[in-house]
Amino acid sequence: MLAEHLEGNIRFLQSVDSWEDGIQEAAAPLLKNGSITSAYVDDMIQNVHTNGPYIVIVPGIAMPHAKNEGGVNSTGVSYLQLEQPVVFPQNKEVKTFFVLAAEDSDGHLDLISDLSSVLMEDEIQDKLEASTSEQEVLDAIKMAE
Amino acid sequence: MANSAQATDNVVEMQQPSTRAKVQAFGGFLTNMVLPNIGAFIAWGLLTALFIPSGWIPNEELAQIVGPAINYLLPLLLAITGGRMVGGQRGAVMGAIGAIGLIVGSDIPMFLGAMVIGPAGGWVIKKFDKLIENRIPAGFEMIVNNFSIGILGFILMILSFYFIGPTIEAANNLVTAAIEALVATGLLPLLSLINEPAKVLFLNNVIDQGIYYPLGMQATAEAGKSIYFTVASNPGPGLGLLVAFTFFGKKTARRTAPGAMIIHFVGGIHELYFPYVLMKPLTIIGMILGGMSGIAVFSLFDAGLVAGPSPGSIIAYLGLTPKGSFVGIIAGVLAGAIVTFLVTSVILKMDKSSEETDELASSVEKTKSMKQEGKQVSKSTSNTKQAASKKIDTVSFACDAGAGSSALGATTFRKKLKKRGIEDIEVKHYRIEDVPDHSDVVVVHADLVDRAKMSHNDKEIITIENYINDPNLDPLLDRLENQ
Repeated sequence: MLAEHLEGNIRFLQSVDSWEDGIQEAAAPLLKNGSITSAYVDDMIQNVHTNGPYIVIVPGIAMPHAKNEGGVNSTGVSYLQLEQPVVFPQNKEVKTFFVLAAEDSDGHLDLISDLSSVLMEDEIQDKLEASTSEQEVLDAIKMAE
Repeated sequence: MANSAQATDNVVEMQQPSTRAKVQAFGGFLTNMVLPNIGAFIAWGLLTALFIPSGWIPNEELAQIVGPAINYLLPLLLAITGGRMVGGQRGAVMGAIGAIGLIVGSDIPMFLGAMVIGPAGGWVIKKFDKLIENRIPAGFEMIVNNFSIGILGFILMILSFYFIGPTIEAANNLVTAAIEALVATGLLPLLSLINEPAKVLFLNNVIDQGIYYPLGMQATAEAGKSIYFTVASNPGPGLGLLVAFTFFGKKTARRTAPGAMIIHFVGGIHELYFPYVLMKPLTIIGMILGGMSGIAVFSLFDAGLVAGPSPGSIIAYLGLTPKGSFVGIIAGVLAGAIVTFLVTSVILKMDKSSEETDELASSVEKTKSMKQEGKQVSKSTSNTKQAASKKIDTVSFACDAGAGSSALGATTFRKKLKKRGIEDIEVKHYRIEDVPDHSDVVVVHADLVDRAKMSHNDKEIITIENYINDPNLDPLLDRLENQ
């Protein structure tokens, strides 16, 4: 389920200028395919400003998301892998972004469940970090599903 | 308890921001102090524009709220917000106590004063708390906490009361002398140098009623109109400022500026633009240049009003414009608006380029103070140790939206329960404010504990920083397994 949604929404970059930039780059595929509007990208960034970097869900991995206040057209996820980590407030370093755009608070729970399985396995996390192509990321995620 | 140890570590781990970051944080600090309170300014502005004797629908009864709201409510809100940003909830209380001394000790609304005393009060109590940390004998925490604020606040209240009266009198004298000197030079546009800062500091009444109106009435008796009525009341520059914020301000400021614009320009309540200047003090340059341009154009057209416009709305302006002055008055208002708009836009845009670091620094600052509170909460969590013996049926994960990270945390926790073969525990995710009352344990990210505490102070709160493998969750799993 998660792998299915990620297809075509996976990017690799050397580095980004700031964590805000990272969220923007990571969300770019969703913006492009119309799942979200730029308002949702702003909301995700604002969320960190307002509530702190709690979206860094485990060390090294951020899950940017926000409440859907009209900026989400359809549920989607996208993925960004950085070679150089970017620093969030409180000096939290992040190399991997899973952007979550949820239309409502229920429709995406299977995605979250898959993500949870992915993150619970250290082995899969290592594979993700080492991956350099979309296929490798998808394969790693399918291991958990 | 693992909890409080963890949180304490985090506080220690937090790095001090660099001096540069601190300077940049200051701008963000002012903004964060003002922005949450804009709604109160708007409420007051609407009330004033409608119900004061010269308002749209004068109402003597409702107009009674106007004075107390601007003298007490708005400065107190600023002081509370400022105090909380520095010293948490205790800082907020200290800030308010300090501000009331200023408010009662002065006869003008104390906005700037509140923005100084609020954070200062927060700082005092924070330092004091740090000083006596771990030195309070067990069982005396409550009494020490309350009496420390009580006694320090008592002193702060008296100091600010006695400090503010003479300070304002001195400022008034200074402003009056400066204005008289400038009027004597005949270079009227220079008046804006004093007028605009004085307005934002609420010193304008002494200028308007003490100098400009008498001068204006004198001139009107002879010429039928006077430019002095316009020098400090031109609604153009404020309009320009708010338009600039509408286009180039940061998110929240951008969204609120249009509303403020209507109340300012049509309602004539200039106070509505003050908070925007207070949060970006550099924009006063735009106000001064706009004011100057307005006065220059008024003099150029030899325009004037027949009486002091109060409130200074565009409608009052046009109503008091004598025949033959319409072009000049309208041109002067427009000139003020356009010049202020252009200058303020440049200032805001320059500011935007440094916004990233600025925002970063301010959020570092903010999360620091939240951590501080997180620490206190964790302490109180360990106080409710007896809860540990209670049977736990419901564990609620909470976050800002109740859809993303809390869902992730809850899902993962359920999987762990399953792995350990633990059954019949309800694990769900919610928006913080929606966590149901029957929850035995609330799990929330350390950054959000402040909010969680507000709604669920009676429940056991566990803070985490990692939604998958947080060490603070292990004791909970053990407890669930053994109960």
